[in-house]
Amino acid sequence: MTQYYFDHAASAPRRDEVTDAMAPWQRGVVGNPSGSHRAARDARRAVEEARDEVAAFVGAKPGGVIFTGGGTESCHLAIAGVTNRHRRTHETSEIVISRVEHHAVTDAAEMMARDYDSVTVRYVDVDADGVVDVDALSELLSERSALVSVMAVNNETGVRQPLDAVNSVAKALIPGGVPTHTDAVAAAPWLSLPVITAATDLISICAHKLGGPVNSGALIVRNEVPLDAVMPGGGQERGRRGGTVDVAAVVGLAVALRVTERELAEVTDRVIDYQHKLTAALSFLPGCSITAPAAARVPGTVHVTFAGLASDELLFLLDQAGVCASAAASCSSGAATQSHVLAAMGVPADRARGSLRLSMGAETTEADVDALITILSSVVHRLRDEVDATSAGRLGP
Amino acid sequence: MKVLVAMSGGVDSSVAAGLLKEAGHDVVGATLKLWGGASDSGCCSVADVDDARRVAQTLGIDHHVFNYTEEFERHVVEPFVAGYVAGGSPNPCIECNRHIKFDLLFERATRLGFDAVATGHHAQVVRRGAEHLLVRGADDQKDQSYVLGYLGAAQLAMLLLPIGHLNKADVRREAERLGLRTWDKPDSQDVCFIEASKGREVFLRQRATLTAATIVDATSGEVLGRSDAAELMTVGQRRGVLPGRDGERRYVSRVDLAAGRVEVGRLEEILVSSFALDATSLNFAREPLGDGAVVLAQCSAHGRAQRATLRHDGRWWLELDAPTRPVAAGQSVVLYRVDDPTVVEGAAIVSRT
Repeated sequence: MTQYYFDHAASAPRRDEVTDAMAPWQRGVVGNPSGSHRAARDARRAVEEARDEVAAFVGAKPGGVIFTGGGTESCHLAIAGVTNRHRRTHETSEIVISRVEHHAVTDAAEMMARDYDSVTVRYVDVDADGVVDVDALSELLSERSALVSVMAVNNETGVRQPLDAVNSVAKALIPGGVPTHTDAVAAAPWLSLPVITAATDLISICAHKLGGPVNSGALIVRNEVPLDAVMPGGGQERGRRGGTVDVAAVVGLAVALRVTERELAEVTDRVIDYQHKLTAALSFLPGCSITAPAAARVPGTVHVTFAGLASDELLFLLDQAGVCASAAASCSSGAATQSHVLAAMGVPADRARGSLRLSMGAETTEADVDALITILSSVVHRLRDEVDATSAGRLGP
Repeated sequence: MKVLVAMSGGVDSSVAAGLLKEAGHDVVGATLKLWGGASDSGCCSVADVDDARRVAQTLGIDHHVFNYTEEFERHVVEPFVAGYVAGGSPNPCIECNRHIKFDLLFERATRLGFDAVATGHHAQVVRRGAEHLLVRGADDQKDQSYVLGYLGAAQLAMLLLPIGHLNKADVRREAERLGLRTWDKPDSQDVCFIEASKGREVFLRQRATLTAATIVDATSGEVLGRSDAAELMTVGQRRGVLPGRDGERRYVSRVDLAAGRVEVGRLEEILVSSFALDATSLNFAREPLGDGAVVLAQCSAHGRAQRATLRHDGRWWLELDAPTRPVAAGQSVVLYRVDDPTVVEGAAIVSRT
């Protein structure tokens, strides 16, 4: 069966260029980059070249790049690492985050609040498009604020956040400014990070949304924000992240960034067209609402909800027809679950239950999009007919 | 045939899926995520879902997780709590079967294009002419026809019970033969959303205020003790009731939450000879039975079926041939045929007399 892959936002197809660049570091002698012999020096050079490339991609100095085991670890290190410093010198520490953050951020913040009485989490509300309310943010800021964390792009809806405004209030309102972190995992395939994060102190990225390996990411620290290691041991990454650096993983990250940057203009032009085509077609399907249609969004994501239908059933029939898609929110069991993002946006539960995220990338073709439109349209009509038949039957005696 | 197998992560449904696959059916496994809170298999029952998924991988069939947490809360958990608060003893497994597995899941299976739904229950569907009969499982000790008592003709026609003809030891042997990791997994015991280490009382206290009561011998007036959760005292039960001064065992005969009073008596004092049935719950597998129909009535999952006569004169009740311990309101009674005692004829919920 032909496979139509519309789940780039979950994990993008691995790029051959990445696989090839990683290969030499996955067989035979691979030195420990902390060692002092020839093999170690070779490994160290590869790591530092990767570090330079990651720094340039984000627009930071190489010394600010901390290699991690992925996006979740990066977010965790930012939240816990900065808050731990703050709480040692303050009676009260508040972590200020938006209501639509990825669980990597919310769970790290909630963990800190659970573990330390002096730490609390303050949530910034969002509007109906899921965009943070900057006035509400400014009201939450105080001397107690340890860190502000607002994502660059939402992973479920693809909606962009106003990072410039977030940074302005975080820096202007409080003397000395409040450190800011952004989860740029969903933004990295689409936006120029040096531009959108120019005033952000800490930036989390990962490789596998860019066609790189999973379990590879970085936290980039700008402006010398003090940070404690969450996992000390061995002193690697300037004492900020213990553990031997995985040469293949960081080479994979760097090459994935390089390929993404090189192709960004071409891919963006093409995928924006697909986004328009898909959005236009889906809006004709019965009960379909495009999520945040007027908001600034990245090209790759189309998020929709179908009133009266269940994500579980849509995904099942799409899967049977060869389409890989996602409901965007799932729990640890793998079940589609009600999204905290849609709830924060005020999307009614009946709609949220029928949510679908279709995400595209460099490999997506127009033929894929045409096939998706045909398949999804038949799936939705079929479920609609069945649901109508069931509810008609139920009205009987 | 295209078959959707409800896979709980236990050995029975694992083998059910395996046998259907071997028989050449087009099999898809689905695990229902029912409870989102803490449970004995971790939050969201993740360990059970992992087992089901791994079994599906081993068998080479597709596996999906369906989220029914909202429906489970509404149709099973809330009525469970409300039932106790109202002084009854609800059976959540039966409600889950009625409203989730054999209602919502069947509807979903139809929408998704399946010809049949299969489960790992120890019971059998036997086709006789145009009829589909629900019959007890081959293993007396494990028979689960009781919890399937509410199935109607349309559901039985679409239901496959691939392990109903096996006893439990055979099921485990089949699982081992198929290389399934659940082959030695212990049988599930109590209610899935209640942690065994904490029990019903802890669960109910999180959602309701429980009633303190005095335990009184109904005949002598003697106070035999106190309960700080009278909702959990069920008529007919002996557990938690101290013997009377005469040293004889006492059984709960009546729970009066409003008065904070639990009445107990000697076994012979509490026996009853009839139960009232909730008319709206009454369900027949085939054509409806009427006043005077003689049946075998089973009042708990592994209880003994007893001869009884169905009565109807506006309200419904069961007249028992021999006096028996009372059955709490909210419990189900499943009716089997007198002339064919393995065949389920219908079911109803016991109501207050």
